[in-house]
Amino acid sequence: MTQQSKTLEIMRRIGAPKLEKIRITGILQSPALASLTFLMPKGDSDSFAAVLRLLGDRSINIRFINKYKDSAGYISLCICIDSEALDEALVVLDANEASLGIKDFMYHPRVKVISIYPHKERPRVAERFLTTLRMQGIDPLSTNNASSVISCVISMDDVDRALASLSDAFELP
Amino acid sequence: MGPGETLEIFPLKILRDLTQLSFLRMPTRPGATRPLFDLLERHAVPVRFLLEGCAGDYNRDLVICISAEDFKLLEPELKELNTRMQAQALELRQPVAVIRVLGPHFDIRPGTSGLLFGALERSGITVFSNATTITSSMCVIADDQVEAATLVIGRTFDVPKKKSKK
Repeated sequence: MTQQSKTLEIMRRIGAPKLEKIRITGILQSPALASLTFLMPKGDSDSFAAVLRLLGDRSINIRFINKYKDSAGYISLCICIDSEALDEALVVLDANEASLGIKDFMYHPRVKVISIYPHKERPRVAERFLTTLRMQGIDPLSTNNASSVISCVISMDDVDRALASLSDAFELP
Repeated sequence: MGPGETLEIFPLKILRDLTQLSFLRMPTRPGATRPLFDLLERHAVPVRFLLEGCAGDYNRDLVICISAEDFKLLEPELKELNTRMQAQALELRQPVAVIRVLGPHFDIRPGTSGLLFGALERSGITVFSNATTITSSMCVIADDQVEAATLVIGRTFDVPKKKSKK
């Protein structure tokens, strides 16, 4: 049993305190997507733009991007593309893996982006969003805020549970 | 995108003089981020930028940006905070800025993000972190590169000019 599932089991057994609901305007879900996660070469000058250009040149639409530097100094890049474009993206990326210097590469063929709005830069909205999902055993593949929404990438298998738990944790109009 | 086509975007939103905090390799258990968000909430600190990613072995990386002024307020509590969050490292970068590019249909126009980041890269502008969702892209860059980035984005997209008052 992992540390995470032990914590979850204890919290479920003793019951988490019922928190006051936070008012939001809505919850959005994307169409079916595929996520691709890369570790790219170290350094601030990276192959990030090259990956995006390669996919764009093949008319592959990118609906979500998360990019940052990890603890080892590698560039971590997570992108989501339309699920029907996954096969073509894999062919292109496989063919260019060496020239892009991709160190590690994983993909998930069936994900959705779930967003709640407005986020309005409120820390407690982010906290409630992440903790609500994790209390359900849903670990987002990636999370970010952009403009007025906070969004996460989750497996399509978890979408119904995620939407139900978020509807319970937030007050919708 | 068609050749020669220039996408129109909304005026850029730029937030300057920020600090980027990266909490690296923290556990994924529910509530692991609570000490941070509680602290921010207690001091009414807005989160200007946020992203979280997988760090392997049931660990996560969390990156946020807050104003430099707010950072000074929180700085004395950071060491204890990091211990409570069980992050294996906390990295700081400052001063940084967040440029929000809104409207070029990132979600429906293939090639838009490649166009944006390719132009920035060719001009020597490093994007430390990026969060793109739906029609909005938030780029964290060095504060002293804001003017250069604004010019590059203005050459790449059709940015409406501010109307001058007569």
